[in-house]
Amino acid sequence: MDGTQGVTRRGVLKTLLAGSGVVMFGIGLPTREAAASAGSEVTSWVLIHPDNRVVIRIPQTELGQGVTTALAQVLAEELDLAWGEFDTEYYDAQTNLQRNNVYVHTSTLASWAVDKLFEPMRVAGAQVKHMLCATAAQDWGVDIASLSIAQREVRHAASTRAAGFGALAARAAELPIPAADALTLKEATHWQLIGKSMPRVDTRAKTTGAAIFGIDVALPGMKYAAVRQSPTFGGRLKGFDASGVLKRAGVREVVAIRGGPSGYNVPPTLWDVIDWQMDDAVAVVADSWWQAQQALNELPIEWEPGPQATADSAGIDQRLGAALDTAGQLTREEGDIERAFAAAERRVEAEYRYPFMEHAPLEPMNCTALVTAGGVEAWAPTQYADEALRIAAYAAGVALKDAKFHLTLSGGGFGRRLSNDFVSQAVQVAKALPGTPIKLISSREECMRRGYYAPVARARLRAAIGPDGLPTAWHSKVAYGRAPVQPYGMSRFPWAVPNVRCEYATVDSPPPFGWMRGVAHAQSLWMNTAFLGEIAAATGKTSLAMQRLLLDEAHVTTDRPDHDDAVARIRRHRDLLERVVARAGAETLAAPGHGRGFAVTDMSYVPGYYASCVAMAVDVAIGEDGDIRVLAVHAVADVGLAVNPDIVTAQIQGGIGFGLSNALNAQITLKDGQVEQANFNDYPLLTLAEMPTVDVELLPASGRPTGIGEDAVPVVMAALVDAVRAAGAAGIRSLPLRSRKSA
Amino acid sequence: MTTALKVNGKAVSLEADTDKPLLWVLREDLALTGTKYGCGIGACGACTVHVNGVAQRSCVLPLAGAADAAITTIEGLSADGTHALQQAWQALDVPQCGYCQSGMLMAAAALLASNASPTDADIDAAITNLCRCGTYVRIRAGIHRAAATLRGEVV
Ligand code: FES
Ligand code: FES
Repeated sequence: MDGTQGVTRRGVLKTLLAGSGVVMFGIGLPTREAAASAGSEVTSWVLIHPDNRVVIRIPQTELGQGVTTALAQVLAEELDLAWGEFDTEYYDAQTNLQRNNVYVHTSTLASWAVDKLFEPMRVAGAQVKHMLCATAAQDWGVDIASLSIAQREVRHAASTRAAGFGALAARAAELPIPAADALTLKEATHWQLIGKSMPRVDTRAKTTGAAIFGIDVALPGMKYAAVRQSPTFGGRLKGFDASGVLKRAGVREVVAIRGGPSGYNVPPTLWDVIDWQMDDAVAVVADSWWQAQQALNELPIEWEPGPQATADSAGIDQRLGAALDTAGQLTREEGDIERAFAAAERRVEAEYRYPFMEHAPLEPMNCTALVTAGGVEAWAPTQYADEALRIAAYAAGVALKDAKFHLTLSGGGFGRRLSNDFVSQAVQVAKALPGTPIKLISSREECMRRGYYAPVARARLRAAIGPDGLPTAWHSKVAYGRAPVQPYGMSRFPWAVPNVRCEYATVDSPPPFGWMRGVAHAQSLWMNTAFLGEIAAATGKTSLAMQRLLLDEAHVTTDRPDHDDAVARIRRHRDLLERVVARAGAETLAAPGHGRGFAVTDMSYVPGYYASCVAMAVDVAIGEDGDIRVLAVHAVADVGLAVNPDIVTAQIQGGIGFGLSNALNAQITLKDGQVEQANFNDYPLLTLAEMPTVDVELLPASGRPTGIGEDAVPVVMAALVDAVRAAGAAGIRSLPLRSRKSA
Repeated sequence: MTTALKVNGKAVSLEADTDKPLLWVLREDLALTGTKYGCGIGACGACTVHVNGVAQRSCVLPLAGAADAAITTIEGLSADGTHALQQAWQALDVPQCGYCQSGMLMAAAALLASNASPTDADIDAAITNLCRCGTYVRIRAGIHRAAATLRGEVV
């Protein structure tokens, strides 16, 4: 961690703890009615209680990325709240639907939370401030401009009059909400909270066992359900014999769950990007989840294995290979690669493979649901609560207005919780036992075998090398398993090569698709970087030297339609690369078996899409047994404006752990239509002992904030692969590295 | 059948299947949900509690094996969240999602109880719990910080 930031953060915390009357806050179970009954909803964003207590609504899922804290900081800034002068609670999905998406951006994905909500939540804070001040101005017959806010009071300095928020809120709520362009937001130089490493609002609860995650929801009379989906993808339930297990102690019911899409009424744009496939399943309901799971393990179930009964990883790989042998969809083309290849001094070619990967958030999938004559109510950790609400209503067979959804704390997500299969499952079970609250928990084995995996991929790259040893043409072709089109992974490399062609294909593969932290950049950056390393090796250069040569704006061809964007990206990538080289202190590691690798990327999807940019140096040592030890990681990041620098740093530290875990170990394989991995014994995660030291530098704040939930993942994976090559291993051609096939 | 335990200093007697793992007894029968389920096979450590002062993975410990034992869960690590480790965790904002952190704190507390000045290698060997959010850097820092506090050093 950057030393300066650490000091600042601790300073803030000390100040806070030193002050009296610090309000301890955290996210509880957000039952909105309970909260609203005692307070006034000034706008959809802010609730104020008569005792001046302020509640800020957070329209994103807290997955550990610190979004609750960062977004609260943004709104509190404009409302002139000091840290500790507010609580937070989740937005309510039903309210959001009824109020025409008043919360602007409610699905938690793509590192967009702060990026998309920074302006709306500043405006929301300023609106509430204006409404409170306007109420006081009317009461006192003074100009609103003469009023200020401190300690949750509106104050008039000239007359020393003051009115607490609580006394103004009910009447403020009656005023029209001022338009955004009628408000003047604070100048950055006046910010008290934005840009500072405020302590997280939920840390205390997460260190005492008090934090309530979805799996901890408790309702009176609640029963537990264990669930098993078809062991093959696309399989159907033929039947089960419940007679034996119903005799077991505590077992109440065995319920068939119908498969089908796990999403309904989905906006058409999202049908394309989220895979909603969910297969038939069986659930056992018991007094204890353990009893339910034991009974489920014993339950004789007959499945119709379906069309994927014989699918296996080797067959899928063959299909990907066949797709690479035919023309793909063109996703980028500049110049004329054929002419460049014809004129080439030499060529380099390589193929790379990426396996299915499971997100494996530590909290298993779960949902608690209650179906009554009046409708359905559900509680779950999901990254898409609006959709969870729709699914709950659909699965219960009730009108949308009769559904209520409670978002909970989430034990990680990483994209897995964008699919709400667990909500559909829990509600279907609850519907079979009306009046009884059901908590459905997927066992780790069930989560592992029925994931929405990051898709398998295979890419073929070839380059033409000119007389000066630089690539004159770059041709990549990638084939993915079942996935929406995500061409950016392979095609958005910033390096200046005069002739480029990128092609893209998908083949059908059994598991449903899932976005995973780092998305296609995580699948592709390491491939592109490794290939660049192979070109460098073929021309007697280091990979860093080749990265530098191609991050040269002079080489950007002038007729490129995205010329200016390409030049700007090259400058930024080069700048960060040089900074991380300087920070790491040397270009290479001298010790035998040691290697230092470099990678840099933004998470830009298309020209003109501006995203955070991260560069890393990764140090490894390869032991005599061939095993890889990751020693140290240096990172330099440009996130524009870091709303909370310590949380940004934590995201980079954590993203490094996540990316290393995936690159070293992660793979889901299929045999006879079924997933071969079941738990953390055969799908190992990175351990503390394997975690390298991490050093993070953030560039000084500039411009607007851009997201940082993901970028560390692709960059660390690519720099790791580069480091392993630098340490003397042959070109890496596939992940995970611990079962690597080399060139 | 009735099993007697001491949980967080309080005597409890339970009517539960003695095969039932302690994890589920704590979570379901005693409403102590700070102890988490992550894998059920002893691989992740999210369910770590102290059994007679020793860190154990409660998902693979049948209730029978905990009979008459003194159990400490995260809820009993301190009365008010002020164990040196909890304070270090709060000062460094260690948790991300937080799901693994109860188990991490209990494993770390057992380490510090037997080793006042753990080295990095000691920490590597003792803390085999998994954190998918990758908070390991801060967990390590938090353990060193808490150890220093307990030794009376100013941090
Ligand atoms: S739940 Fe006990 S070790 Fe994972
Ligand atoms: S903080 Fe999320 S698993 Fe450790």
